[in-house]
Amino acid sequence: MRRLPTGLLFAMPALVVMTMLIAYPVVYTGILSVTDADGAFTGAENFRDVLAARVTPKAFQNTLWWVGGSIVFQIILGTATAILLNQKFPGRGIVRSIAVIPWVVPGIVAATTWAWMFHTEFGIINYMMTSSGVADAPIGWLTNRHTVMPAMIAINIWKLFPFVAIMVLAGLQSIPNDLYEAARVDGASFWDETWHVTLPQVRPVLIAVTLLLVIWALNHITTIYAITKGGPANLTLITPIQIFKLGFEQFQFNQAAALSVIFFTVAMVIVALYIRFLAQGGEIAK
Amino acid sequence: MKRPAIGTAAIYAGALLLVLVCLFPFMWMLVSSLKELRELYTIPPSWIPKNPTLENYASVLWESNIPRYFLNSVVISVGSTVLAIILAVFASYGFARFRFRGKAAAQSFVLVGQLLPTAAIIVPLFITLRWLDLVNTYWGLILVYMIITLPLSVWMLTSYFRAIPPELEEAAIIDGASRVGVLFRITLPLSLPGLVAVAVYAFVTTWNEFIFALCFATDSSVKTLPIGLAEFTTEFNTDWGSVMAASMIMTVPVALLFLSMQRLFIGGLTAGATKG
Repeated sequence: MRRLPTGLLFAMPALVVMTMLIAYPVVYTGILSVTDADGAFTGAENFRDVLAARVTPKAFQNTLWWVGGSIVFQIILGTATAILLNQKFPGRGIVRSIAVIPWVVPGIVAATTWAWMFHTEFGIINYMMTSSGVADAPIGWLTNRHTVMPAMIAINIWKLFPFVAIMVLAGLQSIPNDLYEAARVDGASFWDETWHVTLPQVRPVLIAVTLLLVIWALNHITTIYAITKGGPANLTLITPIQIFKLGFEQFQFNQAAALSVIFFTVAMVIVALYIRFLAQGGEIAK
Repeated sequence: MKRPAIGTAAIYAGALLLVLVCLFPFMWMLVSSLKELRELYTIPPSWIPKNPTLENYASVLWESNIPRYFLNSVVISVGSTVLAIILAVFASYGFARFRFRGKAAAQSFVLVGQLLPTAAIIVPLFITLRWLDLVNTYWGLILVYMIITLPLSVWMLTSYFRAIPPELEEAAIIDGASRVGVLFRITLPLSLPGLVAVAVYAFVTTWNEFIFALCFATDSSVKTLPIGLAEFTTEFNTDWGSVMAASMIMTVPVALLFLSMQRLFIGGLTAGATKG
């Protein structure tokens, strides 16, 4: 018998564990999605059932809002924060440490604290808005159909824009200084510098970070589940929560698996399109 | 070059706003946790507790399951961190130092683990754990958290190992040391900062995780802190003072750990992202 290569031997334990606890469940999801509770083959029945449910398209739509709304603001605020933290000013070190706090606070703690702040009667946000005259009456942030999803998105933005800031800041610090000096010789303003030097240079970081944020947002259940469990009236029900409820509240494991397969496929198509689109864009830019 | 005054003012205004936005919810958590029950539900709310009290902390520590959940969280987080690190050290060393057929495929396989949606694997993972009789056990949660932290741990450690010159190891090998001996006596001590960074990442991720714990730990003997926190909130009645006190108890240890290791951790995380 040929001996296994040394490198593979080192990697083997991790690969075996990953296969057992990742690859196997993935394959198993596929099997569950085409069988019934007794394990008999049912073809596309689970898929038909789950797609016919009224909440499914609603959940897809909510998921798109959730992912899109979160990411746009996370990227804009994160990049702005990184540019700010890259300036020299006294106390910069302390501000940098404080800026990572939202990211470090456990997700469930962020969710409950914001739920308390958004409280209709006793919440500090409504108090500040009514006492300053911004709002006439307290707003039911977590019960009003127009505000509940934006409130969830706001929490998600607060939680993750520091991560964007950290990554972009690292990118900013690797930009050679002579690029800025050349721009200044040409009389560039702060905005010219940002637009023509800084942003193009951190593009690769922004691309990588956006991809991560998309995956995380598609994955993220904690904030919404902890506060609204997908309600009221399914207004914040995103697909991951629908899968979770199908599986662990209604014990429809096979339908949950079918929805997982659909969700996984759509998510991977989005990720693949994104990578492809940006790879092409990168070629043109060169 | 000197900055115009308006630029300096803008920087200070921006920094102040940033600090307020990031710190305010945390401060409000602290303030609320120190208020008496009556003061918590007073309008207008007070910015500083009038009669600061630790009664919320006392009720969390002596009348709830939180201490037990704290212990569970420590056991599970430490266990999964140790296991993830051991597996990641060997795998990363294999990836960083050797060429072998299928290495690229193996590396991407490990990374894909990071991309899989939680929702897509949670049902089969639950069934697998049930089959292994590991639902509601420390081991079940330790295994689950180990695999979700493994991909990024391997990724970070591989780049740390690559940064260490192989010549240092070659000298020891000529002197007759084994590969594993070299790894433990030369490579690991040199990559200690990286190791610490990965450990902090794995620990904090496990400590904060909510959904897997919600599904795989339904018995209070293994429930973790995030579940305990969610249990305070019921549909009709939430004891906000206790929730905020429990939130502080849960946040402060990881925040301190993270802030003390911040440089190492962020360095490790960004090293991979900016090299490409």
